[in-house]
Amino acid sequence: MTTSFTAAIRERVQRIDSTPAMPAVFLPLLNLLSGSTDEVKVDEVVRLVSYDNTIAAQCLRVAGSPLFGLVQPPKSIKGAVISLGLRRVETILLTCCLGQAFPAGKWVLDPAVFWRHSLGCAMVCRKFSEKLAVADGENAYMAGLLHDIGFMVNCLVFSKEFAAAMEHAYQQEIPLHEAECATMGFTHCESGRALAEKWKLADDIIEVIAYHHAIAQSQKAQPLVALVHLSDLLCRMRGLGYGYYERHKVDLISDPAWAILLKEHRDLEGVDLVRFTFELDEAVEEIHALVSTVFGSARART
Amino acid sequence: MTVSTRTATTPLAPKVSEPIDPIFRQIRDLVYKVCGIFQLEEKLYLMADACGRRMKVLELRSSREYWDRLTAHASREAELRQLLNEVTIGETCLFRSQPQLDALRKVILPEIVAEKANQVMKRLRVWSAGCSTGEESYTLAMNMLEESELLLKGWTVEIVATDLNDRSVETAKAGIYGDYALRTTTDYFKRKYFSPVDEKKLQVRPEVKKLITFSRLNLQDDSKMLFMKGMDLVFCCNVLIYFDGPSKSKVIDHFFSNLNFGGYFFLGTSESLMKLNDKFHLVHFPGAIAYWKPSLSSGKL
Repeated sequence: MTTSFTAAIRERVQRIDSTPAMPAVFLPLLNLLSGSTDEVKVDEVVRLVSYDNTIAAQCLRVAGSPLFGLVQPPKSIKGAVISLGLRRVETILLTCCLGQAFPAGKWVLDPAVFWRHSLGCAMVCRKFSEKLAVADGENAYMAGLLHDIGFMVNCLVFSKEFAAAMEHAYQQEIPLHEAECATMGFTHCESGRALAEKWKLADDIIEVIAYHHAIAQSQKAQPLVALVHLSDLLCRMRGLGYGYYERHKVDLISDPAWAILLKEHRDLEGVDLVRFTFELDEAVEEIHALVSTVFGSARART
Repeated sequence: MTVSTRTATTPLAPKVSEPIDPIFRQIRDLVYKVCGIFQLEEKLYLMADACGRRMKVLELRSSREYWDRLTAHASREAELRQLLNEVTIGETCLFRSQPQLDALRKVILPEIVAEKANQVMKRLRVWSAGCSTGEESYTLAMNMLEESELLLKGWTVEIVATDLNDRSVETAKAGIYGDYALRTTTDYFKRKYFSPVDEKKLQVRPEVKKLITFSRLNLQDDSKMLFMKGMDLVFCCNVLIYFDGPSKSKVIDHFFSNLNFGGYFFLGTSESLMKLNDKFHLVHFPGAIAYWKPSLSSGKL
């Protein structure tokens, strides 16, 4: 990717009016995910969400859906936190926020499929972090949630080109970023980076968005990029991919990302990857249901 | 691919709102640690049912007592086997795991064919180890036949199917199956590869049988295991769970040495090799896991 080409993508992302606007509560919510204790968080989350009635209402609708099996649907965000736990409510809130950033009808890629992958990846990143005792598991969660935002940009800004890339990926059963490269000459990593910079996301998150398919090029935050890369691969192999069959063999332990992560976290050696995979399978159903509740069911691809 | 666990064959029960006794989660972890079979959280109630049946036989009144029986009693190992018998059943079906078959046809076979492109003898050898009553072996044979006009054109496919139990081997040879065993077999495959026996049963056609050699084999018989060389694929689903650690380790070593470089070893869909062999590479395909003996050209040996 040449510098001038990257600059051209950035310029197009900056220029186009329909570029997603970040919901006001999103960044403060994101910051809350790290740092403060759960007790402080609850009050802060309640305060923040009270600024955005639409998101609060959507969050309560999801929390009260049959998915979570509550006898009494919660009447307030605080009630939802008490019934479901802070983490679940945070997940619901952030999903609702990001869902709002992208208006319905502009998606080339099925939004339900996209969110399943993003949420799945976020969850796997957090679970990996827990296994590795990484201090900032919540940052890993956020990196996983946002790593593919470039696809949203492609849907909005490069919809025709991206539709062709997707068709190529489906037909050839190859990874989507390879199809983007072959047909568009750039990937969601470049367009995602442009959006992340516009949104002024943290440097390490920008690094993840830009290099999760090209870790060797990552200069900063390499272990986090490696973590997201591996989680992304695992999700794509366990029913949380992009809604089509990828003819792909994944040898996670031989992947260069594994070596990068292992250098930083010796605990990785002790992780039972098969059990980890089975545990991910347990969460797939819940992720599907959550996304269906927020965004509706995925369109069937024939 | 064929020998299924009861957890896998029973339809999902509606979620029960009452929380499950945490002891059953502990038992699930114990079963995984000892046998490598993992029970998903959503199907934990099946583990609870199986424990309940064992508790009734043993006349135990609480799950805590049963936990003690599994962990602190002199007969704990025997009891764990009994529990496994309750959790898994010998019942099989054809086309048990579509993701395994997809991985086989879409990724593995093209890879092996490319790897062996320069060999004069175009031969593919597959071993269905612990084939029970033949469902896995026939499923593999039918899928190989589906590829015989394209990917495997000009190739000879041999499927070696073995089981310890003579009666299972005889049933397998007959290749007659009822509705239950055929519940995941599509009409396409039924029409193409089966003939009706009576109103309720279908028999595998001779052209499918021709690919397979059924025989009796004890996986713990070292002298026999040494003669199973030259395999490209080994399937051994839900068989090793009944072996103790050292025996399991030995059998897996045999599988590894009997596989060609670039060959693959498949376990059951909820089964793990744990850390019993560090020479195999764990590989993921969409919806399926396998163990790979790296090819000479891969640089991963």
